[in-house]
Amino acid sequence: MKDWNSKSALPRSKTMKKNLQAYSFMLPNLILFTVCSLYPVMWTLKYVFFQYGGYGTGTPRFVGLANFARVFRDKVYWESVIHTFTYGFGKVIFIIPLAFFLAFLLNQQKRGNGAAQSIVFLPTIMSSAVMGLVFYLLFNAYNGEVNQYLMAAGLIQRPINWLGKEHAMKTLILTAVWGGVGNYMVYFIAGIQQVSGEAIESARIDGAGRLQTIWYIIIPMLGPILKIILMLAITSAFHDITNVMVLTEGGPTNATMVMSLYGYRYFFPISAAEATVPQYGYGAAVSVISAAIAGLVTVGYLRISKKLDEIY
Amino acid sequence: MKNGNKKHISKAAWLPLVGKWVFLGIMIIFTLYPVIYTVLGSLKTNAELTQGGGFFPETWHFENYYRAFVQADFTRYTLNSIVVSVSVTLLAVVTCSLSGFILARREFAGKKVLLALYLSMMFVSLGSVTLYPIYELLRALKLNKSIFALIVALTGGQATNVFLVMGFTKGIPKELDEAAIIDGCSLYGVYSRVVLPLSKPILAVVALFSFRNAWNDYITSMIMTISMPKLQTLTVAVVQLKYSVNAAAEWHIMLAGASIAIIPILIVYLFANKQFIAGLTAGAVKG
Repeated sequence: MKDWNSKSALPRSKTMKKNLQAYSFMLPNLILFTVCSLYPVMWTLKYVFFQYGGYGTGTPRFVGLANFARVFRDKVYWESVIHTFTYGFGKVIFIIPLAFFLAFLLNQQKRGNGAAQSIVFLPTIMSSAVMGLVFYLLFNAYNGEVNQYLMAAGLIQRPINWLGKEHAMKTLILTAVWGGVGNYMVYFIAGIQQVSGEAIESARIDGAGRLQTIWYIIIPMLGPILKIILMLAITSAFHDITNVMVLTEGGPTNATMVMSLYGYRYFFPISAAEATVPQYGYGAAVSVISAAIAGLVTVGYLRISKKLDEIY
Repeated sequence: MKNGNKKHISKAAWLPLVGKWVFLGIMIIFTLYPVIYTVLGSLKTNAELTQGGGFFPETWHFENYYRAFVQADFTRYTLNSIVVSVSVTLLAVVTCSLSGFILARREFAGKKVLLALYLSMMFVSLGSVTLYPIYELLRALKLNKSIFALIVALTGGQATNVFLVMGFTKGIPKELDEAAIIDGCSLYGVYSRVVLPLSKPILAVVALFSFRNAWNDYITSMIMTISMPKLQTLTVAVVQLKYSVNAAAEWHIMLAGASIAIIPILIVYLFANKQFIAGLTAGAVKG
């Protein structure tokens, strides 16, 4: 700790004053950071070893690794992990190509492109909770406008239960694509604009068609950025919770229960209609395992994409 | 058509353009439809909504808004949302600006440890469950009965924004600081007279996204107002309507509430859509 200050020749009182001055700048944020980031994480890491029902339910009981053992036996939890992967995969597989194609169409400064960009980006600025409620109404089986239109058009004979066990995940993914595609489109546009126009130009001169230009010039040159965008898409899909909570509440019968929501339900009720007895220790263990799974996927993804680099 | 103003468009060039705008047209309808449904639906009767009516309301029922504002108490929730969002934005901008500046410009005891902690918290993501310890802590401090708890929890640790501001400040030439110091400025003077005015662009990004997140947030706002329903924000109040006793008969009120919650941010977006889009990539490239 001696050499933290580059000007070690300064007298002690002066460095002291400098430190105090620096901390006067840091303090406001440091308080927020401690209260809202550091403390809760430490708290969670502590309570994974405890059985605890919350304020006013007696002292927490140390149970060692029992919570983790229970997580590994918890069938519903592992189903929720599978649902998270289904959801994430479904979301990414639609969003990425769609966003890329939109970016390809809209990256140039042409009439109408800016407006189209702004419209496609619009859902990203709206509350996923409020829009989750709107989708809940739209996809309602008997009164929802989606079924009304489909039946009026003669495409279906009887109402489809969009939020029923069979279709709920698809509906959820559709709404997630709606909410996220604009975001990734903007990332792709930023990426495409970094690919030099000259390379595209010279490919054109050499007689490459539009599709050839995309396939042989833009996609390979976009490689590094594509990797980052994919990683953002994958990791963010693991953390989606609000839209699931409002649209399907993880149901019906856990059909759309994702791991973020599964941990949450041991802390708070998912909906006002639900009465749960909180189990903070167990919920903490679930959340820590979920974070570890998300971390593992990210690391695995980085490994694979690095391997792919070596092949090419 | 869109391209009617171009004089000489060969068939070969014309076809992809039509294809492009047909595809974009579909995407635009897909994107806008839920928003239009919300706004138009908020002016319909419940029967029109649930039993199928025209695209536009038969008669425009503006009284739905009256009912939402007065009977469902949305005036209060709107006020709460405004107070919370503005406070969160200010708090985020001020705290990130101060700490981003000092981290970029000074060496001090414990800086390395702090940076490592901030960085690690960006990667440890336990999700919404961390709201419980925050809530308990604020309860222990007797802050849970005021809107202050929500403002603090919603502002959050701000690690990403601190790094964003720090990165931007590093890009401001240090010579400017030195010149100001020679002219007799203290550290506070350097901050407020030199760096602060120059970091407006990045602070605008922080402000815009903080405001958006605070206005749209649901889970944090719900939990922090769990014992004080009067402090609920718009999003919480709107979603709660889903669980009200006669929810099936109140779709029009739900949509009026939803419109009240989304229209302000739509207006902000109307004026600042370029900044939103540019800010997203500023954050992604640097953060």
